[in-house]
Amino acid sequence: MIRDSQDVIVKTLARLLIPFVVVYALYVIMHGHHSPGGGFQGGVISAAGFILLGISYGFEETRKRMSERVAEVFSSVGVFIYGGIGVLCLILGGNFLDYGKLGKLFMVTPAEARSLGILGVELGVALAVMAVMCTIFFAIFTVGESPEDDRSEQ
Amino acid sequence: MTQFFLIIGVAMCVLVLMCLYRATFGPTILNRAAGISAIGTKTLIVLLIMGVIYERVDMFIDISMVYALLNFLGTVVLAKYLETTGEI
Repeated sequence: MIRDSQDVIVKTLARLLIPFVVVYALYVIMHGHHSPGGGFQGGVISAAGFILLGISYGFEETRKRMSERVAEVFSSVGVFIYGGIGVLCLILGGNFLDYGKLGKLFMVTPAEARSLGILGVELGVALAVMAVMCTIFFAIFTVGESPEDDRSEQ
Repeated sequence: MTQFFLIIGVAMCVLVLMCLYRATFGPTILNRAAGISAIGTKTLIVLLIMGVIYERVDMFIDISMVYALLNFLGTVVLAKYLETTGEI
C-alpha cells in the first residue's frame, strides 16, 4: 500500500506536472490523425498521470478521483463506444466501422463523418486503455490488502 | 550542419554505452537506477537529433516528450518500490 509521502520534491513536481500530462494526453488523442499517437498512446499517457498521483499523494487521495469501481465502469464504457460506433455504421447500411455512413445520421458530408468517426473511436479506445491501466496499477500495488485477497487465503 | 549533428548523435550513443555498463554491473541498485535514468535522458537527445537530421522535428518532439515523461515516472516508481519494500 502506498501512503502519502512526505517528500517535498516529488509532491511539488507531481502537482506541477499532472495537469500538463493530462492536457498532453488529450493532444495526443486529438492529433492522432497527423502526428504520432492515437487512442492507445493517449490513454497510456493519461493513465501515467493517475499513476503519478498515486505514487506521490497516496492511494486514499487517488481513490477520491479514480476508484476501482469507476475504472471498471470506464473500461466497459470505452469498449461500448468503440463497438457502438461500429455497429451503428452496420445498422446504417455499411460495413463494421465504415464511418462514411454516419454522415446520414449527423447531417454532415461523408468526408467529415469519416474524420469525426475515427475521433470517436479513438476516444473510446483511450477511455478503455486509461481505465484498464489504472486497474492494473491498483491491483499490483494493493496486493495482499484488498478484501478479495483475504477471502482467497481462507 | 547535418554532419555536426551526426557526430553529436554518435558521441551520445557512446555515452549511452557507458551508462549501460553502469546499469548492468552497478554494485548497488541505486547505481543501476541512476544509470537507467541517464540512458533515458540521452535517448531523448538522440531522438531530437534524429529529428533534425531527417528534417521532421515536429514528429520527433512528440515522441521525445512522451519519453521524458515516462522516464521520469519510471524512476519515481522504482524509487517508491524500493522505499516500500525496504531493500535499500
